[in-house]
Amino acid sequence: MTGWPLAEDAPDTADLAKCVHCGLCVNACPTYAITGLEVESPRGRIHLARAVAEERIPITEAVQGHWELCLQCRACEAVCPSGVPYGHIMERARAQLDAAPPSKGWERRLRRFALRNVIARPRVLAAMLTPVRWFARSPLRGLVRASGLLRFTGPLGRLEAQLGRPGRPFRPRDGAGEGEVALFTGCVMGELFGDVHRASVRVLERSGAKVFAPRGQGCCGALSAHDGDLEQARRLARANIAALEESGAETIVVNSAGCGAAMKEYGELLAEDGEFAERAEVMATRVVDFSEYLAGRDLPAGRLRGRVAYQDACHLAHAQGISSEPRALLGAVEGCELVETEGADMCCGAAGIYSLVQPGMSGELRARKAAQFREHRPDVIVTANPGCQMQYEAAVREAGIEARVLHVAEALDEAQDGG
Amino acid sequence: MTANADLLKALRDVVGREHVLHKPEDLLVYELDGTFDRALPEAVVFPGDTEEVRGVVRACNARDVPVTPRGAGTGLSGGAVPARQGVVLATARMRRILDVDPVERTAMVEPGVPNIRLSEVAAEHGLFYAPDPSSQKACTIGGNVAENAGGPHCLALGVTTNHVIGMEIVTASGEVEWLGSRGPDPTGYDLRGLFIGSEGTLGIATKVVVRLLPVPETVVTLLAIFDDVESASETVSAVIGAGLVPAALEMMDRVTLQAAEAGLRCGYPPDAGAVLLVELDGIEEVVLGQVTQARAACNEHGATEIRTATEPAERELLWKGRKGAIGALGRIAPNYYLLDGVVPRSKLVETMGDVSRISEGYGFPVANVFHAGDGNLHPCLLFDEREEGATARVLEAGGEIMRVCVDAGGALTGEHGVGFEKNRFMPWLYSETDLENMRRVRGVFGNEGAFNPCKVLPEGAGCGEMAHQKGALAAAGPDAYV
Repeated sequence: MTGWPLAEDAPDTADLAKCVHCGLCVNACPTYAITGLEVESPRGRIHLARAVAEERIPITEAVQGHWELCLQCRACEAVCPSGVPYGHIMERARAQLDAAPPSKGWERRLRRFALRNVIARPRVLAAMLTPVRWFARSPLRGLVRASGLLRFTGPLGRLEAQLGRPGRPFRPRDGAGEGEVALFTGCVMGELFGDVHRASVRVLERSGAKVFAPRGQGCCGALSAHDGDLEQARRLARANIAALEESGAETIVVNSAGCGAAMKEYGELLAEDGEFAERAEVMATRVVDFSEYLAGRDLPAGRLRGRVAYQDACHLAHAQGISSEPRALLGAVEGCELVETEGADMCCGAAGIYSLVQPGMSGELRARKAAQFREHRPDVIVTANPGCQMQYEAAVREAGIEARVLHVAEALDEAQDGG
Repeated sequence: MTANADLLKALRDVVGREHVLHKPEDLLVYELDGTFDRALPEAVVFPGDTEEVRGVVRACNARDVPVTPRGAGTGLSGGAVPARQGVVLATARMRRILDVDPVERTAMVEPGVPNIRLSEVAAEHGLFYAPDPSSQKACTIGGNVAENAGGPHCLALGVTTNHVIGMEIVTASGEVEWLGSRGPDPTGYDLRGLFIGSEGTLGIATKVVVRLLPVPETVVTLLAIFDDVESASETVSAVIGAGLVPAALEMMDRVTLQAAEAGLRCGYPPDAGAVLLVELDGIEEVVLGQVTQARAACNEHGATEIRTATEPAERELLWKGRKGAIGALGRIAPNYYLLDGVVPRSKLVETMGDVSRISEGYGFPVANVFHAGDGNLHPCLLFDEREEGATARVLEAGGEIMRVCVDAGGALTGEHGVGFEKNRFMPWLYSETDLENMRRVRGVFGNEGAFNPCKVLPEGAGCGEMAHQKGALAAAGPDAYV
């Protein structure tokens, strides 16, 4: 008996049964923290999924709303004693929304279109983001900001607030060559955060690694998986596995937390794929996060003066269990005063494309970060994921403080370069 | 206007439209707490302050609608389950810390404040809040007051009633009153003590004044490993017999250790028969002396290894395992029935034998994790509710285990409350006169039977509809979801 409209890709009954509704997760959940509603908590969302599975309720508009408000930050998974694979459950629950009566059908279709035809296609993405990069660095931007016009442009205005000053892009061909360590370049990361990739390469090389960027790699598929488009996520995963195998790299360093988490789970994503299941398992074991890779290696100490607030990227801390490594790397830098802000490990509200589709909740979470920044006055805010970096750019403006937002790689690179 | 529409309108008038849930899907999430009793409310309402709590209670009373208070829904005796439907009054919006007084070492908080938050805030002044239920990251102070919650660290320091000195409450009849005070113990009848542990049947606390304690100078946690539960139990008696009162004295058996280690990777020995967690705290010289004594007791009774944790991070890891142990059982079985019974310490070994005999008889594996120091047992029967009749049988086995505890001279609950789960066992402990007196106490607070109905005291009609309502919503038809 099952009430799931798409039997394939439905949440696994055994996964759902793992939840013993003890409630230990609720306070780790950002949307529960903001709303105080159990329908906006992990336990509540799982209970709704069980009710659907048991045919007690159909997937109503209200149910969809509760699932879609989830950030998929997986903070609940990290505190769950019972080992409920919440991230997987939610991806599969969202996959079902395609077959449910469409409440916001056009919005979902537009989102799917963008994820499939822009984000997943390097050339189209490059063509779209080149003018964005140009605009972000031009004097025009100041004028537009001053005019106040952005207030009326909805998502565009929100995107503008998140844009830093992106440097040149970094695409696979910019790091072509050979080596043991492959840098994963990703999609938006390579287009808008080329500086982070270049800093990563320099820091990795200073640690003695021979780094290159294999050709043929592209979007990791995380955004599609989170949106419930598992078919597309699998397609992208297969392409990356093939390209990375071809490259001969033993280690794949990923500097975007969301991509790293998704790639470490390629094995589960492709478990049913006859041709790729095993290859995906193997590839997943080769994936390491940037900080994780550096944790065991010798690095030049470097020097960086100032108060540094490290903010956990959810998919690094909660999905990959990496939170002490980046702090230790930063703490080893001379002159760097690490400041722990309250809620450093709580989602900032960026959550992939969440800040665009759920601006209200995203804004509430950003405001919490901004309030902490106002209180602690850090000089530098460091994180490990492009979406978070963008969200912190907006939070810093909201807090009205002067602070730079850097990726761990940029902070280390700057320190090693003499501060 | 239908009865339901009239009720919703009245509730919205009190708290505002956005703070009333009424869609069937939304209500579904509030049909259960941490255990498996279920019942669907007709509405869930979120008052923001004392006035609104009073308004909600009065609106419900005027319409003869039952009211069931709810904190975080982590309870383990069905206390927050709306047994006769009606309205769930949730304290989730009332989560402000109103003040912290480091000189008097008190704090006043709203009922929805999570237990752990209190200690986090108090830490700024070198203070902490002692009762620490395993669910402390989620459970609320209001819920702790209702259940007189305990926790591993209640052995030396006492349970909630020893740490809550006063409360503002809204009674079952909708009156606002103060019980206890911020100052010294008031004279006269201890209504404060009466209210704490009343399981939300007398009213709802709207402000709670707690006592805070200074964080101890030195804390040492020992993890003593044993081959079997008997040796560990004998050690417990020896430690207490030696005159030590550890801050905590906890036992876990093999099944629990394996689940906790698998789920939480806290460094437990999964092959051990049992472990004891012994925590000693206080002034450094005293603690070090006690550690020597405790180690000696462990060694004398067959400890195969004793690990010592002094750094906060090491200790936290050991406790993470203990506090998440119950939830971790979800890794080895789809469902568990967590029992809560108390026996005299001298009867620990014997009772544990009875527990395993009973659970074996029913064919349920059992995991044991408990506050050994105060004889508070937590056997967990592992089962799968999807198996035909399994839930009924596990409840029956639980009943037998409770009977064993009572026969051993113990009690029905150490800290989880009687709730709906065990109210039918109350006559084992109390005469009809006792029970009648308890009913009259309810009346004093204006509870005519509709305020958190079917909890604590055995009640007849109208309380039988709990448990699984599978299909009930689907039967309502698709129109219910518009």
